[in-house]
Amino acid sequence: MFTRDLIEDLLSKSVEEHLHNKIEEIDKRNKEINAFITLSTEEAEKSSKEIQKKINDGIQGKLSGLVISIKDNIAVSNTRMTCGSKVLENYIAPYDATVINLIKKEDGIIIGKCNMDEFACGSDGTSSYFGPTKNPRNIDYVPGGSSSGSAASVAADFSDFSIGSDTGGSIRGPASFCGVYGFKPSYGLVSRYGLSDMAMSLEGPGPFAKDTYGIALLLDVISGKDPRDTVTVQSNNSYLKIVENFKDGDIKNMNIAYAKEFFEGVDENIKNMILDKIGMLESQGAKIEEVSLPNIKYSIPIYYLVVFSEFSSAMSKFDGFKYGHYTGGQDIVEAVSNTRETSMGTEVKRRVLLGTFITMEEFKGRWYTKALKARSAIKEDFKRIFNSYDLLIGPTMPTLPWKIGEKISDPLAMYSSDILTASANLAGTCASSQPVGYVKGLPVGLQLHADSLSESKLIKGMRAVEIVCGGM
Amino acid sequence: MQLHEDKYKDLNLKIGLEIHVQLKTNQKIFCECSSDYINSPPNNNICPICTSQPGSKPMGINETALENLLKIGLFLGCKAYKKPFYIQRKHYFYPDLPSNYQRTSQPILGNGIFMGVGIWEIHIEEDPGRYDLREGKVDFNRSGVPLAEIVTAPEIKSPEYAREFLRDLLLSLEYLGVIRGESGSIRADVNISIMGGNRIEIKNVNSVKGIYKALKYEIVRQKAVLQRGGAITMETRHFDEASMITKTLRKKETVADYRYIPDPDLVPVYIGPEMLNEIESVLPEFPHAKKKRFIEEYSLGEEIVDSLISDLYLSDLFEESAKNSNPLEAGKWCATELKRRLNEKNLSVSTSKINPKHISDMVGFIERGELSVKNAKWIIEDAVDTGEEIPVLMSKKNFYQISTEDTLVRIIEKIIAENPKAVLDFKSGNQNALHFLFGKVVNETEGRAEPSKTIKLLKDKLCAVA
Repeated sequence: MFTRDLIEDLLSKSVEEHLHNKIEEIDKRNKEINAFITLSTEEAEKSSKEIQKKINDGIQGKLSGLVISIKDNIAVSNTRMTCGSKVLENYIAPYDATVINLIKKEDGIIIGKCNMDEFACGSDGTSSYFGPTKNPRNIDYVPGGSSSGSAASVAADFSDFSIGSDTGGSIRGPASFCGVYGFKPSYGLVSRYGLSDMAMSLEGPGPFAKDTYGIALLLDVISGKDPRDTVTVQSNNSYLKIVENFKDGDIKNMNIAYAKEFFEGVDENIKNMILDKIGMLESQGAKIEEVSLPNIKYSIPIYYLVVFSEFSSAMSKFDGFKYGHYTGGQDIVEAVSNTRETSMGTEVKRRVLLGTFITMEEFKGRWYTKALKARSAIKEDFKRIFNSYDLLIGPTMPTLPWKIGEKISDPLAMYSSDILTASANLAGTCASSQPVGYVKGLPVGLQLHADSLSESKLIKGMRAVEIVCGGM
Repeated sequence: MQLHEDKYKDLNLKIGLEIHVQLKTNQKIFCECSSDYINSPPNNNICPICTSQPGSKPMGINETALENLLKIGLFLGCKAYKKPFYIQRKHYFYPDLPSNYQRTSQPILGNGIFMGVGIWEIHIEEDPGRYDLREGKVDFNRSGVPLAEIVTAPEIKSPEYAREFLRDLLLSLEYLGVIRGESGSIRADVNISIMGGNRIEIKNVNSVKGIYKALKYEIVRQKAVLQRGGAITMETRHFDEASMITKTLRKKETVADYRYIPDPDLVPVYIGPEMLNEIESVLPEFPHAKKKRFIEEYSLGEEIVDSLISDLYLSDLFEESAKNSNPLEAGKWCATELKRRLNEKNLSVSTSKINPKHISDMVGFIERGELSVKNAKWIIEDAVDTGEEIPVLMSKKNFYQISTEDTLVRIIEKIIAENPKAVLDFKSGNQNALHFLFGKVVNETEGRAEPSKTIKLLKDKLCAVA
C-alpha cells in the first residue's frame, strides 16, 4: 500500500528531505496548476525539523511528517484564509479549525492553503478570485470543484494528503476529475469548526489521499465529537484497522446495490467503465442488485434551494466593516451593498440574491419549507436502500472533465454536474470517490455510498474496489 | 382592578410588553468567554465564536442560561412546550451584530400569568455588542450575553400599572437569582393602542422609568392626533431618553423582514420532564400556592395577600415578622404602608434597611396602646430610611402614648381648670365643647394621649365637676 510504505520510509529516512521534494515539485509546476493561494513553506520547514526530532525519539504522531495541504476555507491560525475571494483577500485567521488542531497534534505538516471556487460556489475550480486551478492530468481541463486546489495538489504530488470540504460533491467531484481518492464523511463525523460556511446543514471537511489507506488514516485523525460543533458525534477512530485487516474473502460478504437513476444521462464511456468494475466485484463474489431511488431526480433543485438559503444567511457577515474589503457609502445599507458589489464574484452574488429571495417571509413557505420536506423524502430513499444493502455504487461525475472556460456562462449546466453527488449531502450519509481508469486520457471516478455513520462499510468497499482495480 | 385603571377606562387602553432581561451566567450563551461586559476593557472578553469569525460555530447553548430561563418561565406559571425548540437566525444589518444575524430561539415556555397579566411566551436570545455611534466603535464584550425575552398579553391598562408590573417582575427575577444586576439589564419593546387607533410599537426602551414616560407621552400624543381628526396607523417608534418623547422609526409599509431560518449550526434542544421537575423542585413557592397558603394560614384578605406575594422579599419579610406578632396586623402594615414607603423611595426590601423585627415590634407597640396608628406610619418610614430599632425610634420621636390613668387624669384636671367657659358650655349640652377640651389634652401631650381612654376620662371628670 502506497501510503503505508511512505510512512515506513519516512520513519527510516528524512522528513525534511520529504518536505523538500514536495516544495521542489511545487516550485516546478504550481505556477502552471495554481493549486495554492498561500504557501507556508517556512512554517512547514520549522515543523518538519520538530517532527524529525520526535521521530528520532520515537514519539511521533500518526501522521509523522506527511505533507498536507488545506483548502482555503479552513482556518489555520496566523495564516491567511481567503475562501478564494477578494472579500477575504487580507484576512488572517486568528484560530485553528478543529481538524487543523487534530492534524497538528498528530504531526502532519501543513504546506499551504489551496485554491478553490470562490466561497466554494462552483463545481469546476474556475471561479476563484485568484485564478482558475488547472487539472494536473491535463492542464487544458478543469480539475473539478470546489476543492480544486486540494485535489490538484495531491494529484500533482505537491502534498501527500489534503483536507477539502464537501457541500454537494466538492471533494468527490475534483477527486474524480484529478484521479485521486476523496471522501465525504457522514454529517457530524468530522467537526465543521473552522470551516467557513457555504451551506451549513450539508457540508463538512473531508480527506483527499492517494489510496484507501491514506483516507482511513486521515479519517482516524480528524473524526470525532467536538464541543465546538454541536452536530458532531463520537467516532471509533479505527478505520485504518479495517484497511489493514481486509481479507480478499471480505468481498464475498458485501451486499452492493446500484441505482439505475445514477446511470441516467451519464457519459457512455464512464457508464461502461463503472459497469465493468461492478462486474469484476460480482465475479469476486459480491452480491450485486439493481434498485431504484425514485426521489433522486429532485435532488438538484432541493440541493440548490437549501444552498442558496443557507449561503445568503452565512454571507451576511461579510459587510466589509470588521475585516476584508470595504468600499463605503452614505449609510450602512449602501456601504454593505457597495462592498459586496465590488468584492464578490458573479456566482457568489447570484447565490446571495437568490437565497435572500427564497427566505423572504412571503416566499419562504413556497420554497424553503418545501425544500426541507422534499429533503426528508430523499433521506427516506437512502434509508430504505441501506436497510438491505451495505453499499450503493455508481459513477462520481456524469461527464469527463471539461475544458477550462467551457461552462462558465451557463450556471444550470454547472449545477447539473452535481447530480450524482448532492444527494449524499442532502441525506447526511457518507460517500467516496476513487480513480478506476482513464477515458481519453482523463481520469474516471467510481463513487460508493454507505449509510450515515457506516464509514467502516464504506472504507471496506473502497478497499475492495481498490484491490479489484489492481491496487496494492 | 389595576392601579389607575379607571383613569384610562374610556380610552380602552391596551399595553403589552416584550421584556428583555440579561440572564445571570459566568459565560456567554454560545462560547466560553466571560459574560462580564462591564468591568473589563472593550473587546477583552471575545473569541472567534462571539465575534463570528469566518468558520467559527456556536457551541451548545449555555446550560445555566437555559436553566435560569426555565426558572423564570415556571415561576411565571408558564408551561414548557413539549416539542424540541430550534435556535433561529434573525437577519438585519447593524454594526453591533458580528454575523449580521441574531440567534433567537423559538418560544420555550408560554401561557403563564403574573400580577393578573397573561404571559404569552418566553424565549432565549443572544445580546449584540455595543455600538458607539459617535465614535464609530463597537465593543463586542456584550456580544453573546444571554437574554430572556418575556412577551406579555396586551392586558396592562395603565402606565402606572405597567410600572408596578415591571418593578415587581424585576424584584421577583432578582429574588430568583436568575438575572444580572447591572443597570440597563432590562430593555423592553412596548406595544400600546387606544380606542380608535392602531397598535404602536416603541422599540428598545431602556429602563422602567423610560417605559412609564414613553407610555405617558404616547397616550397624550395619540389622543391629540385622534382629537384633531388624524389617524394612528401601525408603526414602530423610538423613545428618546433625553427628551422623553417618542419619534417615528418606520411605518408599516417598510416593516422589517428578518428572513428567519432555523440555525443549521445548532441541533434543536429538547427539555425533558426530568429537567423541568428538577428545576421546579428548587424554585421558591409559586405565587398562586403562596396566595392560597397565606389566605388559609393567616386569614388575610385577598387584596393584602396579592400585594404581599407580588414581591417575594416582602412576603418573606412578612412571614418572618408574623412569627412574633399578630399576622393580620403585620400583613396589613407590610402590604400597605411599608410597600408605599419603599416605592416612594425607589427601594426594595433587599435594598432598604427594613427587617422583620421592625414590623413585629411595631405591631406589638400598637397593640399595647403604646403607639398610635398615625405615629406608626412615621415610624415605618424612619425604619425604612435608617434601619434603627423601633424602641430607639419611639424614644427619639417621643411617640410613647400616655395611657396610664393617673397621668391622664392629672392633665385633664389641669385643662378643666384652665377652661371654665368650655366646661360651662359642655354642661349646657354643647358637644363641641367636649371635642375642644379633648383637643387641648392632645396638644398638651403633643399627641401622645391615648385617644379612647382620654375621651372616657374627660367625660367622667366633666360629669363629676357638674
